Amino acid sequence: MFQFLFKYPSPVFTKGRFELLGSWPAWLLPVFIAVAAGGLALLVQWRLRHAVPNLKSWRAWAIWGAQSALVALILVLLWQPAITVAELSSQQNIIAVVVDDSRSMAIADNNGETREAAALAALEDGVLAGLKKRFQTRLYRFGGGLTQVENPQGIAPTDPATHIGDSLKKLVTDTADLPVGAVLLLSDGAENTSGLGGTGVGLDALQALRNRRLPVHVIGFGKVEAAHDVEVEDVSVAPRATANARVATTISLTEHGYAGQKATLTVRNGDSLVAEREITLAPEGRVQTESLFFPVGAAGAKSLTFGVEPLPGEENLNNNAVTRPILVSDAKRKILYVEGEPRWQYKFIRRAEDDDPTVQVVSMLRTSENKVYRQGITNPNELAEGFPVRAEDLFGYAGIIIGSVQADYFTPLEQELLREYVDQRGGGILFLGGDSSLSDGGWAGSSLSDLLPTFLPAGNQNFHRDPATVELTPAGMDSPVTRLLDDPAKNADVWRELTYLADYEDPGAAKPGATVLVDMHANGRRMPFLITQQYGHGRTAIVASGGTWRWQMSEPLGDPAHDLFWQQLLRWLIAESPGPVTASMPARLLADAGQVQISAEVRNAQFQPSADADVAAHIVGPGGVNTMVDLTPSADTPGLYQGDWTAEKPGTYLAEVTASPASDQSDPLGSDVLTFQREDGVAENFHTGQNRRLLEQLAEETGGRYWKSTDLKNLPRDISYSEAGISVRSTKELWDMPIVFLLLLGLPLLEWLLRRKWGVI
Amino acid sequence: MKPSRVALVVVAVAMCGMGLWALQRRGDYGFGYDDSGSNVKGEFYWSRMAYNSNMERYGAYGRRGFWGFAAWSRDYPKADRQFLIAMHRLTRINGRSTEQVVSLDNDDIFNYPWIYAVQVQDWTFTPAQAKRLREYLQKGGFLMVDDFHGTEDWENFMNGMRQVLPNRPVEDLQSGDEIFHTLYDVDNKMQIPGEQYVWTGRTYEKDGYQPKYRAIRDDRGRIIVAICHNMHLGDAWEWADDPNYPETFASMAFRVGLDFIIYGMTH
Repeated sequence: MFQFLFKYPSPVFTKGRFELLGSWPAWLLPVFIAVAAGGLALLVQWRLRHAVPNLKSWRAWAIWGAQSALVALILVLLWQPAITVAELSSQQNIIAVVVDDSRSMAIADNNGETREAAALAALEDGVLAGLKKRFQTRLYRFGGGLTQVENPQGIAPTDPATHIGDSLKKLVTDTADLPVGAVLLLSDGAENTSGLGGTGVGLDALQALRNRRLPVHVIGFGKVEAAHDVEVEDVSVAPRATANARVATTISLTEHGYAGQKATLTVRNGDSLVAEREITLAPEGRVQTESLFFPVGAAGAKSLTFGVEPLPGEENLNNNAVTRPILVSDAKRKILYVEGEPRWQYKFIRRAEDDDPTVQVVSMLRTSENKVYRQGITNPNELAEGFPVRAEDLFGYAGIIIGSVQADYFTPLEQELLREYVDQRGGGILFLGGDSSLSDGGWAGSSLSDLLPTFLPAGNQNFHRDPATVELTPAGMDSPVTRLLDDPAKNADVWRELTYLADYEDPGAAKPGATVLVDMHANGRRMPFLITQQYGHGRTAIVASGGTWRWQMSEPLGDPAHDLFWQQLLRWLIAESPGPVTASMPARLLADAGQVQISAEVRNAQFQPSADADVAAHIVGPGGVNTMVDLTPSADTPGLYQGDWTAEKPGTYLAEVTASPASDQSDPLGSDVLTFQREDGVAENFHTGQNRRLLEQLAEETGGRYWKSTDLKNLPRDISYSEAGISVRSTKELWDMPIVFLLLLGLPLLEWLLRRKWGVI
Repeated sequence: MKPSRVALVVVAVAMCGMGLWALQRRGDYGFGYDDSGSNVKGEFYWSRMAYNSNMERYGAYGRRGFWGFAAWSRDYPKADRQFLIAMHRLTRINGRSTEQVVSLDNDDIFNYPWIYAVQVQDWTFTPAQAKRLREYLQKGGFLMVDDFHGTEDWENFMNGMRQVLPNRPVEDLQSGDEIFHTLYDVDNKMQIPGEQYVWTGRTYEKDGYQPKYRAIRDDRGRIIVAICHNMHLGDAWEWADDPNYPETFASMAFRVGLDFIIYGMTH
């Protein structure tokens, strides 16, 4: 119908450029149209007073509109309108036909036929023949890579990956010296270059296509949505954890056909169930994000499986779970606890940490005016001279607790060192409430007041040995620090029902940017109890009481609240404190590709970037992989070292990055361990529905078109309108389009019919 | 009314009165009339444990309990207060200047993580009391026992202790143990006698010739019960201001007591 009315197929109009061939200036056309329409308007206005009553209304202006449109059309025709469009020269161009042969194309969701079979059928039922009438064709198959094939029989859906962007980029490169006029892509669009959740075609691939002006015409196969399926979209979990910690994970999933039904989230280590939680599935197609806490267990490199238990009638069970590598470390990290007076808080914090194998509390307690009792020291010299006054001594601790200690106990030099400890070294300091703490200890007037997460109140009578009860804030309900029970509502109840604190100290109001996790109620007032904030590279926090020990003594025997809270809080305090060597990599999960870049930030004893270190990664992996990779210094960032390596085999790898001073190899600066995992073919199990959005976007971005597999009749013709390859520009006049003649006849006829209807003829 | 009946009534009334008086003393632990400093709140409370005495041997209120004071209150409260004076002078512990009596009959004991008990050869517990003391120690409480002497006292003490911690072994403390080095280094431990030394010249009582510093530990090796057997530190504190009581013993008693408190507040 379109071509019947407009004479030319639609691509002529979408891809061509409109022109006026007449010799008169183009700007005169709108002027003439405006003058003509204006003149008619004046005429109508002048004649209106003598018109019959039936026309003295909007009807007169309807007549004017029809007349003006007719005049405008005639004027446009006088200027000789035309379309200029590029068209591929017949038999001189190549059409690259690229067929997806990834495993997802084997899904039989096309009336019992596989996507691959449907694609090949589409080609053999006329598309390929139609193209061959006008062009030469080259047939390719692609999955993880691109391969040319002689005929469709050489294509089978077995490839474990779908890399559309990479394949198109390779096609552009391989055919750089060939007159390729267009690309015809047959795919389900289940792109997984970036692993699970990788849904886009890379910009570099798009740019390569644009540079060649190559349009990509796409034929999509497969259902966009499964009828009955639950799919894990993504799993977010920290790549490192400390031994025996409870770790939070966030699992995103979608479902089709199971809205409102119950499902069970699970975490498994091999075959053993680590944690599970029942959830109610969200409405159809909506991404649902659920959190789950699980005990990470003993130290070691682990590959945990996060998923949702299969539901009855699911069409695809392979997308119900994903694995993630996690490195569980039992390396002890030291926390320095400075306490100004013997008190129960000190004892019970130490006892809580006795049960945490990953934390060593080194404490100095002022038992008398001139005596300090040290506990947890590694050697007799540790803290023998009191609080460390050198950066290399203090910065070795991953965290610091300052108890009931007056600010002026620390010299100005030590105070400055504490600031640098948080700001530059990236350590964490926790301040406790007490008789000589916070405002009562003179901290408000100290140079470290800005280190605190609250504006301390005035005066020094803010510590009270009176009971106070606690309650989680909304932020506290989401925080792993305050997570005593996995269920958020029950957890909030547990906090609310905790026995009262032995004492409290008003910490003042939280600063902007600080987070209050727990509030307390005392003497009719509500005050922050646990406040955290980021400061520089580190973090600080306040626990505004010295009386949490009552949670241990007055709750029933075996109640974990006290110890769990302190263990979680202190782990938070040191979790982000970097060591001398901090190794990292962009992604811990390598999907169908093994290239990795290992980076390491190296610092010296003063935690300044170390630019002259020898840094190497010792990598062990599956199949006896055991190799050393040297990391070279970055030219841009002092202290940053990088190295590239390729994991050839699927499996879990462990990389220990060690840095030594170039001058003394025998005394390493430190080391760090990474774990990563290569998995092949797994991503192909996910997002198996046709990614029509991606395919349409690809076509639109390159000047092609998305075609339904059921409507390919015009494809061989329309694909010829392309500027790539060997093309010619043709000018197509528009005056003789049937639609023009229909309008020339139709507009006067419309006016006559209207007049007839209104009875003015 | 016959004189014998009158006498019977008088005796009965007198006995009821005395019983009521004794009950009242027992009920408020015999103190509460001295309110100096009692209402001051502190971090540390010198907590003296009141307990039931062995009824089979000495009657319902322990040795001399019916006529004088209960066994648990030996040297009370002077020893406690003299010790607290020393504690305030020699440490940074924020403690109340008066003692606190705690019992095993209610959960109030859990507010006082350090308790002191004397004459423990006389103690006995109901199952509920034993359970409460066991939970107290397992949660992190600390118990110091003092002033019992000789073999028989030890056996009687252990009878009670086995009710509380049936399977925990008792060990002799060594000089190098941490509990003797928290505030003072107490390496040369002597036998600290009670006041009887002033008039007998003997450092021992009964057959308790050798000083025994002993302990019961928890699963992590932390001392939860510190035992001063064949000694009487309470008397040494109480009579520290007596010119006839040797200063050496008093000083040692203060040092040991302070070490035990610091240990109890740090482990």
